[in-house]
Amino acid sequence: MFSKTIFKQTLTQNWKLWAAFTGLTAIMSAVIIAVYDPKMIQRMMDMVKDMPGIADMMGDRLNETTSLLGMLGESFYSMQGILLPLIFVIMTANTLVASQVDRGSMAYILSTPIQRTKVIRTQALYLITSILCMFLAVTLVGLGTVQIAHNGLWGQAYTADVKAASDTLGVDKEAAANDLTLILNSPDAIKAGARAREIDEDVYTAYLNLKLSEKAYGAAAEVLGLDIHTVSADPTLIKNDEAALKAAAGVMGLEPMMYGAMLNQAIAQKDMATEQAKAMQEKLMAGITAAAAQLNMEPGDLATSMGKIKGDSKAMHAMISASGLPEGMVAGILNQQLAGDEISLDNGINFKLGNYLLLNLGAFLLIFAIASISFLFSCVFNLTKNSLALGAGIPIACLIFQIMAKASGSLDNFKYLSLNTLFDPRAITSGGTFWPQFTALALLGAALYALGVTVFKEKDLPL
Amino acid sequence: MSVIQVTHLTKDYGHNRGVFDVSFEVRKGEVFGFLGPNGAGKTTTIRHIMGFSRPQSGQTSVKGLSSWERHYEIQKDVGYLPGEIALPEHLTGTQFIKMMAELRGMTDMSYTNQLIERFALEASGGLKRMSLGMKRTLAVITAFMHDPAILVLDEPTSGLDPMMQDTFIQFIREEKKRGKTILLSSHIFSEVDATCDRISILKEGRLVSTFVADDLRHAESKEFKIEFSTKEDFERFREQVEYPKRFHVVSVKRHGNQVKVAINDQGINELIAVLSEYSLNFFTEIKFTLEDYFMKFYNRNTKVEGETVNAVH
Ligand SMILES: Nc1ncnc2c1ncn2[C@@H]1O[C@H](COP(=O)(O)OP(=O)(O)OP(=O)(O)O)[C@@H](O)[C@H]1O
Ligand SMILES: [Mg+2]
Repeated sequence: MFSKTIFKQTLTQNWKLWAAFTGLTAIMSAVIIAVYDPKMIQRMMDMVKDMPGIADMMGDRLNETTSLLGMLGESFYSMQGILLPLIFVIMTANTLVASQVDRGSMAYILSTPIQRTKVIRTQALYLITSILCMFLAVTLVGLGTVQIAHNGLWGQAYTADVKAASDTLGVDKEAAANDLTLILNSPDAIKAGARAREIDEDVYTAYLNLKLSEKAYGAAAEVLGLDIHTVSADPTLIKNDEAALKAAAGVMGLEPMMYGAMLNQAIAQKDMATEQAKAMQEKLMAGITAAAAQLNMEPGDLATSMGKIKGDSKAMHAMISASGLPEGMVAGILNQQLAGDEISLDNGINFKLGNYLLLNLGAFLLIFAIASISFLFSCVFNLTKNSLALGAGIPIACLIFQIMAKASGSLDNFKYLSLNTLFDPRAITSGGTFWPQFTALALLGAALYALGVTVFKEKDLPL
Repeated sequence: MSVIQVTHLTKDYGHNRGVFDVSFEVRKGEVFGFLGPNGAGKTTTIRHIMGFSRPQSGQTSVKGLSSWERHYEIQKDVGYLPGEIALPEHLTGTQFIKMMAELRGMTDMSYTNQLIERFALEASGGLKRMSLGMKRTLAVITAFMHDPAILVLDEPTSGLDPMMQDTFIQFIREEKKRGKTILLSSHIFSEVDATCDRISILKEGRLVSTFVADDLRHAESKEFKIEFSTKEDFERFREQVEYPKRFHVVSVKRHGNQVKVAINDQGINELIAVLSEYSLNFFTEIKFTLEDYFMKFYNRNTKVEGETVNAVH
């Protein structure tokens, strides 16, 4: 099926190029993962949102980019992680066949008792193996970086505030993270934590409370054997179960009775008549609109970055007077909102191993398919220049079409001309469909390799 | 018994290039010379014999096996030396030899080492830095290393220095004695003269002649150049000998008082008798070489026709 000798000699000829491109690609991925900082990305997004043109262009991609994988999908797996391997396969596919026929060095191999098909199959095997090893290396380096830089794989990732607060408290990071009440009960720790998170102390307190109650729901859900979402949607479930109530109260550092009272309040809020809730919403909207006018912003944009209201006393006053709500309540709502934002930032680092592997599988399949195009033309043509014209031209055209389709809505149809569209990182990170596309890439690639082998077997060689 | 057989091979590359209806055979144990001007189609024919190209019509076979369909089987017994040397440059000479040995499934390297010694090749260096002659020598060694019964050599001595050419020609003669069948394309007459049993001449893709080399070497017809001492003798010779057609005078040079006479071996005594009546400056045989013969074909302007070619026999 394959020739060991030819594989070995192909390897000696090509491993340096492989090593260079694999190294470069892996370093790129490591750097991009290492510098990932959800807060920074969020700020960047805020900035971008302020520029109407760009916001239109980015469209609904804005929100998904803030998680680590979302960001990787938008950056590395759309650009560097595709472009570098693409250049590698174009060069390698050409050296494997066309350039050896063009130069004539293939003559020596074919003047030995070895079948043409065996020669060409071995070259295809090398190409596929080298791509596979490249993405294996990139994946491993990526995983290593996720672990080292973000503790994302094994062990607890401690957020900056937990680190700062535990230092102030003089306790273990683990102890502080497991029992946030330690921080809540120490004004110094709150101060340190808030500074570390770069937020106000009252927002930080709200954040801690939110986190705690989430944890409490989690503990109760475990006792009840239910999903956490089910429990938080219907807190009466906890109230009706003594063990669950106790577990949840334990997390909060409260007596079960006290916690029960808190739950009652939450339940009451949830049950608030819809009309009342609607009225409340309307008041808030009026407040936000007024604050937006004061800040010279669109109300819609302001809704996603309410920190701006807190930072501007005039906007704050505008919101209070327009909404007709008491100052304390407005501040509370704002804090709650900002605390919620912090929680979603924490979730950003939340690293889903499965999705990461899928991203790499998808990139591998795309490059596998692109390489099959370059390989086919390397088999078809006897001259390097012709082999490169199509073997490099088509993959590059695919890349350009994809970029054009992304850049402007009016060029959207270009995506149907591009193979790259079949690998959509966003579909993986945000739960879209991708298996059919993956299958298409795998089948197309396999078919083109097979075609290349047949063409080479049947053609005239000028050796 | 024919070892290499080319029957009605046609490959038309357009613009009257390629090979057209070429047929010949190389018999067991003979050295077959394949000659023709640049672009005549020698390499094209050899590509078909090696199974690199598929015939448009006709076919080529080695040991009765179709070159195209059984290309990998025939290679077991064939050593091939390409006309253009393009070795894989990332290897050293030693690595290249080792790779070829592995591809051929060879385990015993003693014959190969003998060849390396004989051609005095320093093989350990990188192929990129080898001189052209070294690369050619290396290619020669890899063509012979498995001691094949059949050799297909496309311009084997081009790029070799005269010493190396001699070594090579000597080597070919020995191989011939060992019973090898050799097809050799060449532009070097001395090499063809020294080695070949039979010769085919290809021109513009068509086979114009196939003949036995010895027939030419021992041709019975000879030419003599004669220079007379005086103009009178010269004129007298023309009157008494040339015009009555006693001998076939090929050409005359008036200002040098020279004539060229062609005779059969039997006529030599008569010629000497006639010449004794004249006063001469000199009388020399013009050696008829294969070269003279081939030059007729190489000259692009002469339209060669079958009968004039065969007139030599
Ligand atoms: N693959 C090809 N496609 C088109 N034309 C070709 C091809 N291969 C050879 N030719 C043409 O066929 C003719 C014969 O070429 P070939 O290489 O057989 O000549 P040759 O007798 O080996 O000449 P030389 O003595 O220069 O080596 C040339 O005119 C060449 O341009
Ligand atoms: Mg040639």
